[in-house]
Amino acid sequence: MKLARRQPARPLISLVPMIDVMLILLVFFMVTSTYLNLDMIPFVERRDEAPAPTATAGEDTATMLVRISADGRTYLRGRELDPDMLGRAVRERLTGNPLLSVVVLPSTRATTQQLVSTLETLTRAGATRVRLMRLEAAE
Amino acid sequence: MKLARPVRRTPPETIIALIDVVFFLLVFFMLVGRMDATSPFEVLPAEARTGADLPAGGTMVSVGAEGALALDGHATGADALVARVTAMLADRPDLMVRINAHKDARLTHVLPLVARIEAAGARDVMLIVTPGGG
Repeated sequence: MKLARRQPARPLISLVPMIDVMLILLVFFMVTSTYLNLDMIPFVERRDEAPAPTATAGEDTATMLVRISADGRTYLRGRELDPDMLGRAVRERLTGNPLLSVVVLPSTRATTQQLVSTLETLTRAGATRVRLMRLEAAE
Repeated sequence: MKLARPVRRTPPETIIALIDVVFFLLVFFMLVGRMDATSPFEVLPAEARTGADLPAGGTMVSVGAEGALALDGHATGADALVARVTAMLADRPDLMVRINAHKDARLTHVLPLVARIEAAGARDVMLIVTPGGG
């Protein structure tokens, strides 16, 4: 008598090609993605609401001008201030006038990091109305 | 006669576990990474701890440390870049423009360009920063 040997059950779909595809996808995502954590600071904001308030003669004290020199140092009214002192000065002015608007005038030779650091100092001091003075392209 | 019983081969490691691990890795890298167009030159964004979350989408202008420009990963000149952004803005007026400037880029390479993009009608321009640092 001949006994029929039981055929081992073959899997319906071979798993090996699937693993190949997944590995290729894995390598693709690992290689093409960037993993730097990114945030943003708005330069131009969508202004659907009221336009920026224009300073009138009586409000001239509500604006503060911060200059950034070419080497990244910050000046307030011609006096050089380090970030801590600048933050303190802004905080002092803000307690008297919470709507204080701060205008930043950077030198064209300052770097982006210096501008961002100054903006960060102002933001951390609590200034909500920080504006950047437009630089005319002098070429 | 006693026949030696054939040694049973140990089953290979279960392949299902391997698939699970690969799948987890795949999902992890898909979630953690950003599929952005990379610029043709190195751009290290400035560091700031007060930045807001960067929304996805929009177009990306890259500014290198020496003032090299790229739009969505393709190197270009300032005039061509502004023309291209203007054309994109004509198509989609609410287009978001992300400025990815190297932290050592001089502002003379960045701010006039932003002013030109704003003059072209962009209402949503942002500077990319990276959290951390001092």
